[in-house]
Amino acid sequence: MNNPFTPESSMVQRRTFLKGSGIGLGHLALTKMLANDAAAAGADANASGRSDTPHHLPKAKRVIFLCMAGGPSHLETFDYKPKLAELDGQPMPDSFTQGQPIAQLQGKQLKCQGPLTKFAKYGNSGQLISDFLPFHQKMADQICVVRSLVTEQINHDPAHTFMNTGTAISGRPSMGSWVTYGLGSETENLPGFVVLTSVGGRNPQPIASRQWSAGFLPSRFQGVEFNGSGQPVNYVQPPPGITRKQQRRLIDAVSALNQHQLDKTGDPEIETRLSTYELAYRMQTSVPELADLADEPQHILDMYGAKPGDGTYASNCLLARRLAERGVRFIQLYHRGWDHHGGLVQYMNTCCGLTDRPTWALLTDLQQRGMLEDTLIIWGGEFGRTPMFQGKGGAGRDHHIKGFSMWLAGGGIKPGYSHGGTDELGYHAVDDVVHVRDLHATMLHLLGIDHRRFTVRHQGLDMRLTGVEPSQVVHDILV
Amino acid sequence: MRFLLIIAVLWVLGLDFGFADEISFNRDVRPILSDKCFSCHGPDGKHREADLRLDVEKDAKESAIIPGDVELSEVILRIISTDPDSQMPPPDSGKSLTAEQIDLLKNWVREGAPYQAYWAYSKPLPQRIPATQSKWPRDPIDHFVLTAQINHGMEPAKDADPVTLIRRLAFDLTGLPPSQRQVETYVADPTRQTFARLVDEFLDSPAFGERMAIYWLDLVRYADTVGYHGDQDHNISPYRDYVIDCFNRDVPFDEFSRQQLAGDLLAGADDNDLVASGYNRLLQTSHEGGVQPKEYLAMYAADRIRNLSAVWFGATVGCAQCHDHKYDPYTIQDFYSLAAFFADVDEDQHFKVGSNALPTRRPPEIAVLTRWQRERLRTIDQKLSELRSVPAKSENAKPSESTNSKAATIARLEQEQAQLQAAKRTTMITQSTEPREMRVLPRGDWLDESGPIVTPSVPAFLGTLQTGDRRANRLDLANWLVDEQEGVGGLTARVMANRLWFLLFGRGISSSLADFGGQGEPPTHPELLDHLAIQFVQDNWSVKRMMRRLVLTHTYQQSSQASPEMISADPNNLWFARQSRYRLSAEMVRDQALTASGLFIADVGGPSVRPHQPAGYYRHLNFPRRVYSPDRGSGQYRRGVYIHWQRQFLHPMLKAMDAPSREECTAQRPRSNTPLEALVLLNDPSLVDTSIALASRLLKRPAISTPQRLREIFQIVLSRPPDETEMSVLTDFFTKEIEHYRTAPQAATMLLESADDFVDTEMVSPVELASWTGVARLLLNAHETVTRQ
Repeated sequence: MNNPFTPESSMVQRRTFLKGSGIGLGHLALTKMLANDAAAAGADANASGRSDTPHHLPKAKRVIFLCMAGGPSHLETFDYKPKLAELDGQPMPDSFTQGQPIAQLQGKQLKCQGPLTKFAKYGNSGQLISDFLPFHQKMADQICVVRSLVTEQINHDPAHTFMNTGTAISGRPSMGSWVTYGLGSETENLPGFVVLTSVGGRNPQPIASRQWSAGFLPSRFQGVEFNGSGQPVNYVQPPPGITRKQQRRLIDAVSALNQHQLDKTGDPEIETRLSTYELAYRMQTSVPELADLADEPQHILDMYGAKPGDGTYASNCLLARRLAERGVRFIQLYHRGWDHHGGLVQYMNTCCGLTDRPTWALLTDLQQRGMLEDTLIIWGGEFGRTPMFQGKGGAGRDHHIKGFSMWLAGGGIKPGYSHGGTDELGYHAVDDVVHVRDLHATMLHLLGIDHRRFTVRHQGLDMRLTGVEPSQVVHDILV
Repeated sequence: MRFLLIIAVLWVLGLDFGFADEISFNRDVRPILSDKCFSCHGPDGKHREADLRLDVEKDAKESAIIPGDVELSEVILRIISTDPDSQMPPPDSGKSLTAEQIDLLKNWVREGAPYQAYWAYSKPLPQRIPATQSKWPRDPIDHFVLTAQINHGMEPAKDADPVTLIRRLAFDLTGLPPSQRQVETYVADPTRQTFARLVDEFLDSPAFGERMAIYWLDLVRYADTVGYHGDQDHNISPYRDYVIDCFNRDVPFDEFSRQQLAGDLLAGADDNDLVASGYNRLLQTSHEGGVQPKEYLAMYAADRIRNLSAVWFGATVGCAQCHDHKYDPYTIQDFYSLAAFFADVDEDQHFKVGSNALPTRRPPEIAVLTRWQRERLRTIDQKLSELRSVPAKSENAKPSESTNSKAATIARLEQEQAQLQAAKRTTMITQSTEPREMRVLPRGDWLDESGPIVTPSVPAFLGTLQTGDRRANRLDLANWLVDEQEGVGGLTARVMANRLWFLLFGRGISSSLADFGGQGEPPTHPELLDHLAIQFVQDNWSVKRMMRRLVLTHTYQQSSQASPEMISADPNNLWFARQSRYRLSAEMVRDQALTASGLFIADVGGPSVRPHQPAGYYRHLNFPRRVYSPDRGSGQYRRGVYIHWQRQFLHPMLKAMDAPSREECTAQRPRSNTPLEALVLLNDPSLVDTSIALASRLLKRPAISTPQRLREIFQIVLSRPPDETEMSVLTDFFTKEIEHYRTAPQAATMLLESADDFVDTEMVSPVELASWTGVARLLLNAHETVTRQ
């Protein structure tokens, strides 16, 4: 079938939908059908879509993905290139750039731009971290920096799509949807995949809801966006003047009518509807409760630098911890404003000023609560920035996809470790190259999922988050 | 469960429920070979292993398959081998065959391993209509369905009750609930004659075109914004109105196809053709600074081929962008040769003149009126020239009454003329320019210019275009797609007929509506599908006639209720021994609520409308920043098909109900059932407004008792009277609501705050209105209300 998840009016089909064999009927796997049937007895609106996952013992239960949208410069954060400093202002050697895709610097003269800040070694591990990130310096022994990332898309929108879905073609599920589909959620009161986008900083790049789309997976696995201000989730607030009690009565009455229909028709879709209304009702309480930071002590607010309701990255980091505590599977934060074609120093100060401390606070807070060990944190942008100068209002850098840095920490990740490297000018990743697909494979591995076996039939193909090109788990960065 | 297991085993064996069917290559064998073997032993020449292909009979039987001899056939020996070095599929492929599949392949080889031409690439053939003694069939279609049911040990479901049937019909043909009059008419006289009359009434209603347009707009990925990066608005709404108009006028599907793919190339192309040619501009574009034109032109080319092939071929030719298709005979050469048809589309102007304005600039564009506006304008022009040409009487004569009224008529017409001319909207069109050079891009890499240059041609295995020395163009392609003699018209008709069937039965005869390839689902009723395809062409590609034919079948009019035994015997309704039930589409949910409320405005066409949406919903959009200004007044109450379609942030109500972003072709929307959907139905201010309006509509009627009112509102929403249980739920709920509001009248005022715009709140007591609003919300949330049964 084209879409294996389209629920039809039948028990088995619905159960297939709930537990999603993902297999067209012509290829129906019998054992799976049986397993599905047994497992789907209670129509849980937040259940996993799979019965065969996890494939192995997971190291991490959840993911917090801190997306630094716009593409932070690896050359001013984690990838120190003294040679680039030497060549500052000189033409960029052709051998690096010949035949390479270039974004805004197309047709321009290419000059080297030396690092715009200082680096030093920190912690026992001696990881190199720049002066823009004083709080990251304190985490040197907890994070694992990968300096050899590569991606395939050089413009923001497709690059985000690539980072999230493994392809630039629209309509594929995002990694958060894949993970929630594979593992379900551990909360009965909240969606399994939550997205938070922060305000503050410079004129931000747009970000499309495609980035948290469920693609061809059932839409209950799509990311639900929490708003920093106003209604925390669209339509979670009952109409004006309607009390909680009234809303409860309304849902009870709806359910009574639906139950009556169920008795008359036996339509199993009604059972699902009864359960989705219950979750909707619970969300009307649990979401505002989650978003209300009133019960956080002042020292925690101070640690993050969060002011309740301000919609900043700091508040979102704190919300991320609260979501993690409540069992949300995949939490994705976007902080935009990292697109520094010019004025890089000024804007790095802005962006790092808004994100450096809260990121440290999140990691530290999770650690002090014993949650870091089963939470995987990933930090990074959709790409890095060129070693070449761009000067839109002061020195800056263009988009760069052939080598950039990200870091991971928490469940199953080797702490205080640097992996891979770029060439002497920070252009090409040359040592232990990690493709976005490898990052996906590694993330799934830590969650107990074998990316090769994690397939869903769509348009006749066994689709994977990691696609069909080679991809591998980066074992070197694992404990 | 064990029963189900047995059935499934039998089914896989092609022995459904004990009725021994012969093994069919297309239905039974090919899907297994395709899924397990073709990836390395199929059409993709570059990645073929051991120089063996199993998709071509001659090649397969050279060595791998010895017809009749299971022991000597290497294919079988390999799949039953336990030696990891020779085992097929190789263990590291992650693929394996079930015991049932192995048995099936053995039996097939034993029977001589007969191949069949692939069904989707063979012209539909006239089919013998299966004979039956049964009185059940009303149309040849029913003969096919009934015969298949009998062969699988089934029988038709009973007929749907009149209310269910008329609601089903109304939603299926118009996307709207039936009017009370239509319900009463049919319930009073539920005969075939009355039904047929109502069918015609629905087909003649302008709402038919709107309903059909939604499906077509999903297929061609119509949206009001560019899709990538800044997701700016672009000018295209006249194309949407063109589509609605075509379905309403029943423009034959072949002509409809030609106009969209090549309207600009038609002899004497008029505004209508040009608007239609906007199809070629519907793809996603990026107006981000720093995009590489070359890269994006390659992306646009691929986007077009994905859409063209999904919509008209029912194929995933997009897979051949980087390599020969793995499962179907499309080569990478075919992909770029198809793309070459569109190399003349003037598309790259936006790289130079594109802007972050709203709307952005995507020339070529023209300013147009809708067809009906143009016609009206012509009539006015004509009338005016007639009126003006009548010589005025002698100047000194006293103006008579008739000249006075003539002057008034002229003034009125001139005013209307001016209004119409001001109503022109801009829309993107296709303009043919010197074709860009098109090369095969090895591995789809736009930086690699080593591939051969290609010119427009159709996929080689499907034939060639006879254009002599002339470079083939989009019109040749369009003609070939709908020409059942010289081209693949029969195949196209089959793709479309399957979709029209899907719209009325909830499942396609082949359930993969956009993939008739080897990895799609073969049709359960191949003969019926051929019959329909031929019928469609014979009916001069009339969509209305096909829809009419289908809804008049007995198959359509079955009940959708099924016993648990029926469900377990045929969980996916393969044999159409019942109708399907599923949630209404997002637009239908909205339109139904608007209709019930009386707020509904039935105008056809016009600029897109903006209903309420949560504050700040567009805050992530930039270049430029977006301020959403909801429409005031009538724009709030137009049909869902007219809602502004923001690709990156589709209206959250539409999105929660599975409307697609229209970034890619959608032939079948998912039908989810999620908490977000429940939150929309419970709390979306637009739906609250419709509830208030429905309540006030109810209270405007002459004073009647509360039970009478409860019955009436139930009837308005569900087209039937409530039963006893339902009455008691309603009564109980209403009683508590009114008690609540009597003690807290200020809560009623709060609820009704938004209502001043559309309800005369002075006329009714807020406490009553708020309480009845509660009842309206209750009914609009009921499962039955949002379900097509």
